[in-house]
Amino acid sequence: MDVRRLLNSRLILVTGKGGTGKTTVSAAIGRLSAERGARTIVAEVDTFRPALTPMFGKKPTYAPLPVAPRLDICNISWREALVEWLKGNVPGQRVVRRILDNKLVQTFLDATPGVRETVILSRVVTLLEKYDRVVVDMPASGHAISLLGVPNVAIGLMRGGPIRERAEAILKVLSSSSTALVIVGLPEEMVVNETVELWQRLRKEVPTLQSPLVVLNRAARPSLDDNERALLERLEAAQVDGMSAAQRELVRAGRWEATLEAATAESLSRLDAELGVPVVPVARLGALGGFDGGPSRIVQQVAATLARAELSAGKESQR
Amino acid sequence: MSGATTTDFYQGPPLGDLIDGRKLVVCVGSGGVGKTTTAAAIGLQAAIRGRKVLVLTIDPARRLANSLGLSRFGNDETRIDLSALPEAKGELWAMMLDNQKTFDDLIERISPSPERRDAILKNRIYRATADNISGSQDYMATEKLYDVVETGRYDLVVLDTPPVKNALDFLEAPGRLARFLDKRVMKWFLSPYDKERVFGRLLTSTSAVVFRLLSYVFGREFLDDLAEYFQHFRDLYDGFRERQEAVVEMFHDRRRTCFLVVCAPNGPSLEVARFFLDELHARRMPNPGVIVNQRHLTLGDSLDARAELGTDIDRLGADLPPAARSSLLARLGAAHRRLLGLSLAEESLVKGLLGALRADQVSWQVPRLDDEVNDLGGLSRVGGFLFERQAPLGD
Repeated sequence: MDVRRLLNSRLILVTGKGGTGKTTVSAAIGRLSAERGARTIVAEVDTFRPALTPMFGKKPTYAPLPVAPRLDICNISWREALVEWLKGNVPGQRVVRRILDNKLVQTFLDATPGVRETVILSRVVTLLEKYDRVVVDMPASGHAISLLGVPNVAIGLMRGGPIRERAEAILKVLSSSSTALVIVGLPEEMVVNETVELWQRLRKEVPTLQSPLVVLNRAARPSLDDNERALLERLEAAQVDGMSAAQRELVRAGRWEATLEAATAESLSRLDAELGVPVVPVARLGALGGFDGGPSRIVQQVAATLARAELSAGKESQR
Repeated sequence: MSGATTTDFYQGPPLGDLIDGRKLVVCVGSGGVGKTTTAAAIGLQAAIRGRKVLVLTIDPARRLANSLGLSRFGNDETRIDLSALPEAKGELWAMMLDNQKTFDDLIERISPSPERRDAILKNRIYRATADNISGSQDYMATEKLYDVVETGRYDLVVLDTPPVKNALDFLEAPGRLARFLDKRVMKWFLSPYDKERVFGRLLTSTSAVVFRLLSYVFGREFLDDLAEYFQHFRDLYDGFRERQEAVVEMFHDRRRTCFLVVCAPNGPSLEVARFFLDELHARRMPNPGVIVNQRHLTLGDSLDARAELGTDIDRLGADLPPAARSSLLARLGAAHRRLLGLSLAEESLVKGLLGALRADQVSWQVPRLDDEVNDLGGLSRVGGFLFERQAPLGD
């Protein structure tokens, strides 16, 4: 899955370890897509405090909420998804009301394994009927595996009935070549471990998924050459005698950047060796121009990076 | 000094004062903020202070696991070799949670007979769901917790909570499992399956329509499997519920337990931290405060320092091309501006959080260390900030 195919996919699932910037990347993809003329929705999955709120200045609800031309956001709560699912699948509104009014049935559905995941994914599939592109800000690693693994579990456990049929429809969408998976990572050893592991486990649970694209967030581009690096090392070795605190901080800042650059290079080579999928590095905020403008500006910057990556992927393939 | 200085870096008492008398420390927070590292560092400090400590962790970084001697999964309590730290008077143990195995062990322990146990372990729905369905990890963390705290094998248990999709999942896990096992619900669902009652039930109950509908929705076969699954659990409810209630009680015990919210100095993480602080307060959980991890810190720049460093660079790099010397100085200046910008931005974010703390909540901070923390030495450095209030910039 390269970045050009990603940006043209109909369904884009964004996951990764917690704290890597999944929501920012989802919002950036959504924004880019809408700016290019596609009716797009960015969906969060059942979050109590939606992370999209600061990025668009509006709190996403179950019902799609317009935030920009052609761009909506929403938060798929499983209870509302269940109501919608029942209304669409159970004959007779009176019966649906009876189910929903019955506390025991509610608790039963709450306890029945897989119901949550199925109705949430079902809602995602429904959104695909109404939008050109759906971007899902998925839960973090382990929960994403549970969520995406449920259709196969349901198909294994149920011989018939509407849930099984829906699970089959969902699996078909997940396996489609126009569905893309994005894993967001950081240039840190444990995050790279989890990124690699996540794809290995996902591929086992859902063998029909397309291989992912990795967004390496907060990456640092190499800037120091060999001479500069050698000199920095000499400075560090010599700094014990007589340097002022302010001087030491200058040297420390240089080491800080050199470490980030080395970690980025190491992460890129590990991802290439262990996953062998395309990786789009996204520069860290400090290098992108600071914190001014807040979350919506950061989303804009990430969108610009993705657009640039798409252009250079295009150039490469022309050669 | 400007910006990210050591001013206000520490508020409240050293963490040790709080932890010394307690039996359980629960670390909560969003993913990627160093929860596992913090839990391990707290455990190590308590062990250094002479206690027998278990760090119960979920899926830690592999290298951290390796450096602690934890290479196997499967719920083994493993003693960490502290011989490199002669000052350590206690013991440090660590365990990684294996969801499926914890569930199997639980069934083993509370099953009334080997036949019942085997029937549950073989049930298709049990096999498909025990490790797979979201939430079960939360249940299992509390389950294991009960196990290790109640047996009294340890002076202190430090729990690193599972990564949470919904920040509330973990705190609600005991309650949710208890609801799941609500007897009335099970009775309602299972009554059509109790042979002697089946006719009366289906013909008279107002739930009959609903039940028929469920068969339609899920398919009769799945419903039958599910009924078997629930039937197996029916006699186990009391055991389940008792243990879950004990965990809830433990969570609320101010003398024994404290909750630490762990976060990193960025917007989303601090937002989750605030949410946790509010929720813990509202639920009357014993919650002394918040640990802000991974703070970038530096001192303000000065032109004098830059000029002096230029002299050092020229002296040390006399054999290197002049271009390398001047460009390195420029790069160091630029790197420092970025570091300072980052530390100032973090400082203002953190100020917002600390300003919102309640009178009974305190905060600790840990600077971002230059290397990833993945050995005892790194853990001991993190612990130094939390327990000894070491100067964050090394002076």
